[in-house]
Amino acid sequence: MRIEVLYPEICNLYGELGNIRCLKESLPDAEIIETHIKDKPVFLDEEVNLVYMGTMTERGQVMVIDALNPYKDVIKERIHEGMPFLVTGNAFEVFGKEIIEDNVKVADGLGLFDFVSRRSSIQRVNHLYVGDFRVSEEETIKVAGFKSLFGYAYGPAFECKLFDTVLGYGANEEIKEEGIRCHNFMATYLTGPLLILNPPFTKWLMNELMGAKDAVPAHYDAAMDAYNYRIEEYLRPGKGWKYH
Amino acid sequence: MLRYYIALWAAKLSLVALKITKHNGTNFPGIVALRICPDFLTRVAKPETIIGVTGTNGKTTVSNLIKDALAVKGVQVLSNSHGSNIATGVATSFMNGVNIFGKCRYKMAVLEIDERSVTKFFPAFEPDYMIVNNLTRDSIMRNGHPEYIAGILTKYMPAKTKLIINGDDLIACSVSPDNERKYFGISRMDTDVEECINLINDMMICPECNEMLKYDYLRYHHIGKAYCPNCGFKSPECDYLGVNVDTDAMSINVVEKAEPLNETVSYKLINDSVFNIYNVVALVALLREIGYSSADVKEMLEGIEIVKTRFNEKQFGTYTFIRQMSKEKNALASSRVFDYVSSRPGDKELVLMMNCLGDTKTWSENMCWLYDCDFEFLNNDSIRNIVVTGERAKDYYLRLQYAGVPVDRITIVPDEKDIPSGLKLFPYSNVYLFYGTDSLELSYVIGEAIEETMKKKVAEGGDR
Repeated sequence: MRIEVLYPEICNLYGELGNIRCLKESLPDAEIIETHIKDKPVFLDEEVNLVYMGTMTERGQVMVIDALNPYKDVIKERIHEGMPFLVTGNAFEVFGKEIIEDNVKVADGLGLFDFVSRRSSIQRVNHLYVGDFRVSEEETIKVAGFKSLFGYAYGPAFECKLFDTVLGYGANEEIKEEGIRCHNFMATYLTGPLLILNPPFTKWLMNELMGAKDAVPAHYDAAMDAYNYRIEEYLRPGKGWKYH
Repeated sequence: MLRYYIALWAAKLSLVALKITKHNGTNFPGIVALRICPDFLTRVAKPETIIGVTGTNGKTTVSNLIKDALAVKGVQVLSNSHGSNIATGVATSFMNGVNIFGKCRYKMAVLEIDERSVTKFFPAFEPDYMIVNNLTRDSIMRNGHPEYIAGILTKYMPAKTKLIINGDDLIACSVSPDNERKYFGISRMDTDVEECINLINDMMICPECNEMLKYDYLRYHHIGKAYCPNCGFKSPECDYLGVNVDTDAMSINVVEKAEPLNETVSYKLINDSVFNIYNVVALVALLREIGYSSADVKEMLEGIEIVKTRFNEKQFGTYTFIRQMSKEKNALASSRVFDYVSSRPGDKELVLMMNCLGDTKTWSENMCWLYDCDFEFLNNDSIRNIVVTGERAKDYYLRLQYAGVPVDRITIVPDEKDIPSGLKLFPYSNVYLFYGTDSLELSYVIGEAIEETMKKKVAEGGDR
């Protein structure tokens, strides 16, 4: 079992390295490969069971795009071959066509998915989130979390959504589709320790996508208790979901 | 101009009304002033010299230290220490500083400046000096990340403002590179390390060439002395460098780059936590820069009372009860407090009551920060029981398990008012009640309940 974490020295905001901590404790025999910004990612040439990349600064986005740009064709191949990816927060924007800040283009993305990110340099987007994640034709599981961003994303890419939004905005304030699910590539605007907060999703990820059939998320009982409470709390009638 | 005077008089009348009705609305006059005259901050007369204090942590402490130090020399300053550090609070302070004819009564202002609010402050007023104490992660919702805050400060900082910057904080150092500046810092301390032991370090790569930075020493998180092995980028040399920190004698020597070699001055420390040692060096740097001699500064510091670390400490039999501020949503500030408390002598019981009570009413607290915060410091044999409570008790319970704290040392008390029932009260234990800004008022109520429980136990002889 090999998990590659892309650029943890940069992509580590909002407690998102908690996602790796969750996998490390849930899969104690897994090899965690930390790839730094000046290193070539391992997944380009070797098999890994998951590639993870989390939220970064806006300057970090440009650095990451520069680092991955020479390999974008290979990344596309890996995605189409079914290599599992989990991308959270604004790391998601790296894979789109371009990033626009205050109506000015600040970076070209890798262009692997058809969407454009638009953000404000001042205004933050903060809200709670609950969505449905489809695990089979008949079954969905609920995913809860937070969005804390500078903007939204727009484009047809979200037809292949990761979550159907139940509470909160989708990829932008006009749609209910959140994130991208393409083969085993999963990207979402959700920020924070998604895998710690959502043990059912984490269990599915490890069991079905990463090939660890019997793996159980770390501290499962406590995690499920917190998860069940969070879902009930967020969906409680009259509960506010936006930060003011 | 008429609109300005109407705003000024209305704000002053509102202040009188608040006093008569015994209301505590420290920002209200500023709200009135800005509502009537949106450019009130530009128009209001200001003191000749304005000193600003900004940064993530320590703004209030440093502002109060400056105010207290100047008071020792008989200098009264305009300040916002009783108001807030956002636009309405500063407007209230400036309104207080002028008479009904709009004439300013002060020669100097010391203002705590919220780093996110500078967009509304400048250029309505332009500080002559600005201390940038540190820039670290804070509220995710409001502040994003420290590099973003450094960018805001750089964009809005007036060109004339002379910066007094923490040279051990490379993110703070990145603010307004074209402004005149002086750096302060503290030389290597016994407790420093070479590899980061904290969960977050926001300065891991070189801002010039993206190579991984090396640290001569790290104090905590990204605070320390760094260099790039690739391009030569490095932390600045400090103009005011604290050396020979002696927490027994409560003193520090400060070496001034501009002074003749080997000339150092010893100053009194007002607290033994590293945060507060930085605050003293920042104070020395500022006072020297505005023209006071070393002897004056020494005298000013001698005149300031030592702030006891355990300022809210009470003794009941063999029990010690301590109320301990630990800012919610601020991973770094809480990490520092956890580190400090866990290293104190004696057995401890902790109550984590830092829930954002306001968030509970309007939405639900964003808990991402728990996984940036070093709860691992609480996995320590001297900490024998940790009470988690309130709306987010289950989140804290899970986080403590990730920190490796054994479950038999964690007690869940869903309702804050039942906290005393979750305490084990082992003989000779130190009980810490951690509270945040949101739970300040509640901490007094719960604190009293804990004290009563301790007194009863002592009366029964249960503390031995």
